[in-house]
Amino acid sequence: MIGFIDGLMRAGIPMSVHYILEFYRGLRAGIAPDVDRLFLFARLVFVKKVEHYDAFEQVFRHFFLGDSAVKPEDWESLLTGKPFQEWLRREVESGRLPPEALRDFETEELLERFWRTVMAQDGEHHGGNTWVGTGGRSPYGHSGRHGGGIRVYGESVHGTAQKVIGARRYIQYSDDTPLKSDNLRQVLSTLKSLRPVGPENELDVDTTIERTAKNGGEIELVFQRELRNRVELMVLVDNGGYSMLPYVDLVKTVFNKIRDCFRDVRFYYFHNCIYGTVYADPQRRQPVSWENLLASGKKTRLIIIGDANMAPAELMASYGSIDPATAIRKPGFVWLRELREAFPVSVWLNPIPRNHWPWNSPTIGRIGDIFHMEDLTLGGIKNAAAYLNLQGQGVDQAA
Amino acid sequence: MPNIQESNPMRFEGTDRYYLNAELREIVNIAIAMEKPLLLTGEAGTGKTQLAFEIARALHLAVEEARCKSTFKGEELCYVYDTVLRLNDSRFGSGDTGRDVNNIWDYIRFGPIGRAFTCEDRRVLLLDEIDKTDSDTQDNLLDVLEDGAFIIREINHKIRAKQRPIIIITSNAKRELSDPFLRRCFCHYIPFPGPEEMVKIVRLHYPDIPDAFLHASLETFYRLREEGFEKPPATAELLDWIGAMRAGGVRGPGAGKDVAHIGTLLKRTQDILKFKGIRKALRF
Repeated sequence: MIGFIDGLMRAGIPMSVHYILEFYRGLRAGIAPDVDRLFLFARLVFVKKVEHYDAFEQVFRHFFLGDSAVKPEDWESLLTGKPFQEWLRREVESGRLPPEALRDFETEELLERFWRTVMAQDGEHHGGNTWVGTGGRSPYGHSGRHGGGIRVYGESVHGTAQKVIGARRYIQYSDDTPLKSDNLRQVLSTLKSLRPVGPENELDVDTTIERTAKNGGEIELVFQRELRNRVELMVLVDNGGYSMLPYVDLVKTVFNKIRDCFRDVRFYYFHNCIYGTVYADPQRRQPVSWENLLASGKKTRLIIIGDANMAPAELMASYGSIDPATAIRKPGFVWLRELREAFPVSVWLNPIPRNHWPWNSPTIGRIGDIFHMEDLTLGGIKNAAAYLNLQGQGVDQAA
Repeated sequence: MPNIQESNPMRFEGTDRYYLNAELREIVNIAIAMEKPLLLTGEAGTGKTQLAFEIARALHLAVEEARCKSTFKGEELCYVYDTVLRLNDSRFGSGDTGRDVNNIWDYIRFGPIGRAFTCEDRRVLLLDEIDKTDSDTQDNLLDVLEDGAFIIREINHKIRAKQRPIIIITSNAKRELSDPFLRRCFCHYIPFPGPEEMVKIVRLHYPDIPDAFLHASLETFYRLREEGFEKPPATAELLDWIGAMRAGGVRGPGAGKDVAHIGTLLKRTQDILKFKGIRKALRF
């Protein structure tokens, strides 16, 4: 059991002694008489966020169901696959299985028998690796009512825990998944946690009365920040590169949805790198002047979304723009640095996964020196929001 | 080892009005057995709120419902001390209302949590859309729920739960809930029902719907969900849509761009325009 908990921790699921004690309490009370309820119970106790469901399922599968050679995704292909079909044919031909079995037996029961044969042949023991099952011999184990493999709740309409896990229904909510339309909700709630700013201009009636009463009737007015979030957000999107294509629409949807939560959300576009101009339309025909852009810097949160992947010359060289007719001498990184200085609260989100950065392009590292960079996954966006909050706090206090 | 699952009389098996999948049923039962608040998250239209009422119906319990607002501080869910009424009574007399100005209890009104704690029978306590409250409120509430007790500050009187209520909390994930809050709940994310489950859900509402009609509708419905609209249609929209088609006497849901009563499925102008293939000038 310690191994299971350790596995969860290593999978990045936050752990607490409370959970472990609660888990044991439940087990002792007989909450989890079979592997399916164990699965649900363990998930309820240990996993609090949908982001961690997938990781949990993987650990659970590894630990309790044995990390069998058969990946659960192959469930269907296993049943239709050659070894199983041949085994079935042999069994029926040799009379060990009555032909009616094909109709009457549950799939799981057949599989269970199949695995028994296979295991007996190979003499393979999963030993300590499996927790369920007779001596850990079968990778599917059994504790169901009919000895026919793990059945969920004894009703054939439901899948097995293995199938549930195999479907990986929660993978799109995992922290390392990139932004997708499926996990927009998570992203939205993360972005909404951007800390509100604004003047304290709303009268706090309760506290005012309390203080006034304490002062013996001398009226003391207490103000609080109004509830409305006054964060202004500016989003610069690179809609040029190939790697950005899948994200441009999603990013727009995300920020459109949260438009009403903030005082203002503005969008501008650029291609690969910024050379003094960004554009108000996706076709990049309506330029927005640099001065206008920078003017709002101090009180605006800036999020740049781009792959930061370009030819080094585009970033470092004079006249470096990808547009051959450029007349701009200042190299890209100087422009970016100006942008960074104008927007003290800014972050760069990169659709390229973080672990690919070092070898994907040298320019990612260079831009990463200028802007704090996160990748466009749920985890990355969360970090970015936290970073913006932290930076924003400092800037707002100074202002 | 005593098996409280089997021996527990409080076992929820679903009701005739509400489609419940086996996973959720077990989760509810585990939460009841462990006496932990159950936090349900998931898309709108997955039946989070309804679940609390169905649990109450199935187990023959009363429901105490608290629909959360952003202005809640938490205490008013336990009790409200009506000072203004008492002041008024003390000046002008309480008349024939039967209130005694000298007795503070006549001026304390219990909120949903207070009622659930003070009543003799076990109740289902529903805290709906908890994410609307701020995180301090949530933490206060959880203290109360975990201890099964709260204090009426004015008279320093502790109210203890006679029976631990079955606590169901729902959240639409408008804001992220704080970690301590999550830690004290059992959390379950209700995934959006797949086509097979959806067939059963629709059948509960429209038992006499022809098979072909239902399947054609679901096909269109899931296709629309896949298309990435700003507000993808959910269960409620599907049921409205089917209801509208049946009321309108439409024979089939239609195909391609000729979906009948599209307004019941897609709510946003932009989505409808996108569906009809008209590209409005982009907003930015």
